[in-house]
Amino acid sequence: MIAQVITTLIFLTSLWLIFSEKLNRAIAGLLGAVLMVGFGKFMHFYDKSQAIAAVDFNTLGLLLGMMILVALLEPTGFFQYLAVWAGRLSRGRPIVLLALLGSVTTVISMFLDNVTTVVLIAPVTILICEILGINPTPYLMAEALLSDTGGVATLVGDPPNVLIASAAGFSFADFLTHALPIVAVAWIVALGLVRYLFRRELAIRPSNTEVVLKLNPRETLEDPKTAGKALVVLLGAILVFFMEEPLGIHPAFIALSAAAVALTWIRPDINGVLRRIEWSVLVFFAALFVIVGGLEASGVLSRFVNLIENAYIIPPALFGVVLLWFSAGLSAFVDNVPITIALIPVLQGLGANGVDIQPLWWALAFGTGFGGNGTIIGSTANIVVASISERTRTPITAKLWNKRGLPVMLATCTIASVLYLFLYPLFTR
Amino acid sequence: MKIDGGDTVIKNCMKRHVISISASATIRQAAQLVEKHHIGVVPVVDDEDKLVGVINLGDLLSLELPDFFNLLPDLDFVHDFGAVEATRPFPEQLDLSVTKLMQPAVYIEETCGLLRAYALMVKHDLQDLLVVSGDGSLVGIASRVDIGAAILSAWKTVAGSTP
Repeated sequence: MIAQVITTLIFLTSLWLIFSEKLNRAIAGLLGAVLMVGFGKFMHFYDKSQAIAAVDFNTLGLLLGMMILVALLEPTGFFQYLAVWAGRLSRGRPIVLLALLGSVTTVISMFLDNVTTVVLIAPVTILICEILGINPTPYLMAEALLSDTGGVATLVGDPPNVLIASAAGFSFADFLTHALPIVAVAWIVALGLVRYLFRRELAIRPSNTEVVLKLNPRETLEDPKTAGKALVVLLGAILVFFMEEPLGIHPAFIALSAAAVALTWIRPDINGVLRRIEWSVLVFFAALFVIVGGLEASGVLSRFVNLIENAYIIPPALFGVVLLWFSAGLSAFVDNVPITIALIPVLQGLGANGVDIQPLWWALAFGTGFGGNGTIIGSTANIVVASISERTRTPITAKLWNKRGLPVMLATCTIASVLYLFLYPLFTR
Repeated sequence: MKIDGGDTVIKNCMKRHVISISASATIRQAAQLVEKHHIGVVPVVDDEDKLVGVINLGDLLSLELPDFFNLLPDLDFVHDFGAVEATRPFPEQLDLSVTKLMQPAVYIEETCGLLRAYALMVKHDLQDLLVVSGDGSLVGIASRVDIGAAILSAWKTVAGSTP
């Protein structure tokens, strides 16, 4: 019992440190992991080998492989090229610009890290808006909201999806058949809602629309050759992702193979590439696995599983909706990665006790994915666009996000809930 | 330790007439001073003429040049700045005290050697170097050309290698 109380305290304190930003999340995670293993060893319920076994190397491998591809693509100017191309294509019409920038960010985020995407596209977005003399806020918020929403559609689009796929054994194709249809509807509604919520700002038609036509996308491409090679490898990897099941290989192997092929073909300055890898994210994930492994070993999670089982009197489909809103509510305030990592063993525990957890995985994916839209701190992409907007005359505030982002979260979660209930039989397969 | 290097110290080549601004002045007044005198640096001094900071032309222009430009790897693809060209600072920004925009000043004492003065300019990427007296009062300013020409003048004493 003491072990359960202390492991819960370590977990909650780590979460609080991450949430309150008292410590960098990787540092807070590492501290929590070390405390968990140290305490587990002292109390004889969790040791080094259990901690290592708790780390999901499939998730880490997949993330690392995709990060290498992003690191190769990042300095080529490809992301800026797409944003400038969207700006030109819009001919300065605000609603078209919103839809195009939102679509570009979403499509990239479905396959590559959406934080990098937003970091590189947001400054170009501000530039396009500023030369047109329009407020960049709707466009920046649309990019974060739509990329967060769109990322839920694929296995590699959102870190919780990577975790869920690894735990549940879902393939890339599973996400396209189960998540993509719901995400597509939610995304269209989110775009419509952003357009409605920012109707005043978007009604102002710039008087000098010809300036966007003077932008030259080709000049943003610093290294078209490398961009071409990295994109060929990325497309190849996506194709192989579809054949993951018949080939019997894990997405982590595909991503790392793609990274190896791209590195061999491009032969970049490897130190430069490795510097662009977000090691802190990988450390954070690994540390969380160790922390949650400790929670599991001390028996906290099985206690939680029993608690949920007692409440499992409502119909399974409704239970999925409750899980969706529960995880969405948490994800609006706390990083969705620790929530997913903590809930995975709980669902696995329910599964071991005979509950059909197949549909619950999807509810978790929708909840953690759409929930992040709710607040300015709900997802890293939100935090990034808000901090970049501070360099403009119209910074995005938490209050503004609550007014314009929260309705998007509520709408997308509602749509996901309704479609989840209607399509429930699909999610049981 | 005081360096007494004759012509090789800064006080012999600096300009003694320095256009400075009081710490109680506004950014708008600093901008007017720069515009009127066509200078790139304005030292900020307190009531006792002690140096408290410096306002550079770049600091003033940073109020107009959008901050997000720093996030873009380059601007070559932007062939027309459009509405950005007409961007002006907010009036309340211009009415702030110069102390809100000033940078810590890099300065030397008037007995400083020329080569050290030049090396400091290179290290801090400065075009003008402020000179203070022993009690910290601003007494002069020297440009790269002032210092460089003074250093080169010493080459006249270097004997030629050909007879």
